[in-house]
Amino acid sequence: MGTHLRALALLFLLVACAAQEPAPSPAPVEQPPVAVPATKENVAIAGLMDSARADAAAGRLPSAAASLERALRIEPRNPRLWHELARVRLQQADYAQAESLAARSNSYAGADSALRAENQRLVEQARAAQR
Amino acid sequence: MYALLLAVGVFGVFAFQLDVRVRNEFEGRRFALPARIYARPLELHAGVRITQADVVDELRELGYGDAPREGESGWFRVDGNAVEIAARPFVFWDGAEPARRLRAVFDGPQVSRLTDAEGKDLALARLEPLPIGGIYPAGNEDRVLVRLSEVPKHLIEELIATEDRKFYDHMGFDPRALARAATSVFSGRMQGGSTITQQLVKNFFLTPERTLSRKFTELVMAILLEAHYGKAEILETYLNEIYLGQDRDRAIHGVGLAAQYYFGKDVQHLTVAESALLVAMVKGPAVYDPRRHAARALERRNLVLRETKDQGSITMEQYAAARAADLGVSPRPSMGTSPYPAFVQLVHRQLRRDYDEKDLRSEGLRIFSTLDPRAQLSAERALAKRIAQYDKERRFGQPGLEGAVVMTDPSSGEVQALVGGRDARYRGYNRAIDAARPVGSLLKPAVYLTALSEPSRYTLITPIDDGPFLWKSRGAPDWEPKNYDRKFHGLVPLRVALAQSYNAATARLGTDVGLDKVLATVKKLGVERELRPFASTLLGATEMSPLEVAQMYQTVAAGGFRSPLRAIREVTTQEGKPLQRYALKVEQAFPAEPMVLITAALQGVVREGTAQGLKAFLPPEVAAAGKTGTTDEQRDAWFAGFTGDRLGVVWLGYDDNRAARLSGAAAALPVWGDIMAALMPQPLALAAAEGIEQVWIDPQTNLRGDSQCAGAVELPFMLGSAPPERSPCVSVAGAVIDTVDNSVKKAKSWWERIFGR
Repeated sequence: MGTHLRALALLFLLVACAAQEPAPSPAPVEQPPVAVPATKENVAIAGLMDSARADAAAGRLPSAAASLERALRIEPRNPRLWHELARVRLQQADYAQAESLAARSNSYAGADSALRAENQRLVEQARAAQR
Repeated sequence: MYALLLAVGVFGVFAFQLDVRVRNEFEGRRFALPARIYARPLELHAGVRITQADVVDELRELGYGDAPREGESGWFRVDGNAVEIAARPFVFWDGAEPARRLRAVFDGPQVSRLTDAEGKDLALARLEPLPIGGIYPAGNEDRVLVRLSEVPKHLIEELIATEDRKFYDHMGFDPRALARAATSVFSGRMQGGSTITQQLVKNFFLTPERTLSRKFTELVMAILLEAHYGKAEILETYLNEIYLGQDRDRAIHGVGLAAQYYFGKDVQHLTVAESALLVAMVKGPAVYDPRRHAARALERRNLVLRETKDQGSITMEQYAAARAADLGVSPRPSMGTSPYPAFVQLVHRQLRRDYDEKDLRSEGLRIFSTLDPRAQLSAERALAKRIAQYDKERRFGQPGLEGAVVMTDPSSGEVQALVGGRDARYRGYNRAIDAARPVGSLLKPAVYLTALSEPSRYTLITPIDDGPFLWKSRGAPDWEPKNYDRKFHGLVPLRVALAQSYNAATARLGTDVGLDKVLATVKKLGVERELRPFASTLLGATEMSPLEVAQMYQTVAAGGFRSPLRAIREVTTQEGKPLQRYALKVEQAFPAEPMVLITAALQGVVREGTAQGLKAFLPPEVAAAGKTGTTDEQRDAWFAGFTGDRLGVVWLGYDDNRAARLSGAAAALPVWGDIMAALMPQPLALAAAEGIEQVWIDPQTNLRGDSQCAGAVELPFMLGSAPPERSPCVSVAGAVIDTVDNSVKKAKSWWERIFGR
């Protein structure tokens, strides 16, 4: 009985070896970019904005958007953050969002006419791209 | 000879089929992981508004111990007005947060400084997020996957000493045990003798069956398993698969989850005695449940320890120390599959739009949700407390009063809390998303917003007639709305009609601007449900869920920018690879100016209207905006409102539609007030809009006044729509100089209010 079973097991072993597949390896984990300390009042926001800009410059647009959204959760009334997010959406060719986000930025821009002008330019770019 | 070949052939086919099955099951088992849902991570930085107590609460919820353990992470230490945190590492969607020491210094309800262990300032740190539930495979099996290398050696030795001493030597079965089992077949009593491999195979079957053919099939499968996989792989799968208890509807599988469930710690940190208890439970988690049958569990744990000592796997000293230890089981309350079933249900529904149910239940996806545990707990506590109070005061019998709460972040549309009924732990009817109830006066802001979008016809002080109103239309009965106080109030300023929630005035206003326009406004506010085109809809004779109401008010709170309410931020694979982002989306549904007007009008509701009761909960500086709602015979009591950083909707009523005899102001408002008061909300500052000017109005004449006029209020007007005439209360002599001077001062103070501190 013992030899019988051993022989069978051997048989299965052969079947098994032929069908074995490599195990999937885990994906590498991306490291976040190093935040550059800034002199602005809220260093947390400044750090996130810097890393968003670095990401956007390097074409890592989803990461840039994630950092800006994270910053917006901390300071939802910061018009600069809304503007930067609009810029990322424009780069992503999401023109409708770019336009809406620029308008959102304007709603908090107050007397910052420079930022208003930037938002206006951004809206025009988005509209031109859609034509 | 042929017969033998045929027999081998038949068996070969049988074995081949089993082989496929074994490998599928084994691979499938190893990766059948529920999607794991996390709350929002707590962000720490200088300036964040949170109390020391709330941070400590969150750390405790995360299972952090409150005493330093050198060389380890996952603990905190309170040091006066500071908290030192040894944060665990965590892989987020956008990268890994390392294990590191943090020190947060508190100044009142706010973090004044955040540093590392060396005292260097840190800009921002994110704690690991709280796991709040999962989406489980059939049978609600839960798991925390562990690698063999993470499992303490003594746990493995205890397991092998107790369950399968020849594990490393056999080929899947133990011939001697098998022989014993075989004789027991003939004596009519099937019994044990299973190796670890056989026990694992047994788990591949959904039903426990004790027949000879099942035994044989299991045996062949065990041999096949051993042929395909190494001992280490089999042991690792076994450790992740083994059934170790039941937590309400959630099955506890694997030592990783069991370590969490019974001891509140990771498997790496289990002591000799603790791991022996888990091994003891392998034989029967219900029979040896340490929380129910402590004496029995203790006896078997000590048996495990003795066997392990007899095998020479632990020393005499280790044995003596472990035997003397108590069970050490944490008093954790039973949670079921989630402590927040209503919120998890919303997450699950939003996920189902994008993912296969099967993937959600087996791929171990990590779901980063928007739940704010502080908001959730405040909402649960406030609702439970007030419902208990109202039930006691009214004694309307069973089933008792019910309720629901939705909390969101008005700027992003993230859902922060969801309570689906008075028992927040109950997994069942979720009133926050599934109940459709008449909204009553909660619809009125849509009427007023529609009117205020026409500045040539309506301003906040336009007189509206609150006299008797009769509406006739073909195909519908005559409609003659009455006011809540059964009186009519004649001509009232538009803002007062909303603040006092006058029905006749609102019906007249709504029919004047046009029912179709009001319905279009409701749609633009984000309500997807088609409302019936009847005049009575103007007064909220239309049903919505609390979540739909929250969507409608979210658009108002965000200044006319509509964002779909979201419960999910990101989805990653088990390893942290990003799969999908649920990005912040905004769409401008209304121009800025009318939104400023309607928001000011809703602040008026709280300041001097039906929601004045909030004064008992929030300081006037918060300047919250909101609206009460009460339906016919007081079947539904509502309150919806927002501050600078939170939006909340509260509903109370009976499931069977009995008259609750509770009004929005008297019953729903206090729930909202309790929740907000606990969350220290940010003040609501009116947004600046180019086309808006602020004008002092004398309420006696509804003409231009100044801050010196008795009872004067400063109200926003669209440019050119404010009354040009000056009220007699303005002192004529100083009028000209005063206006210039004052307007500069006013502009400044108003400016400071929005942007300054």
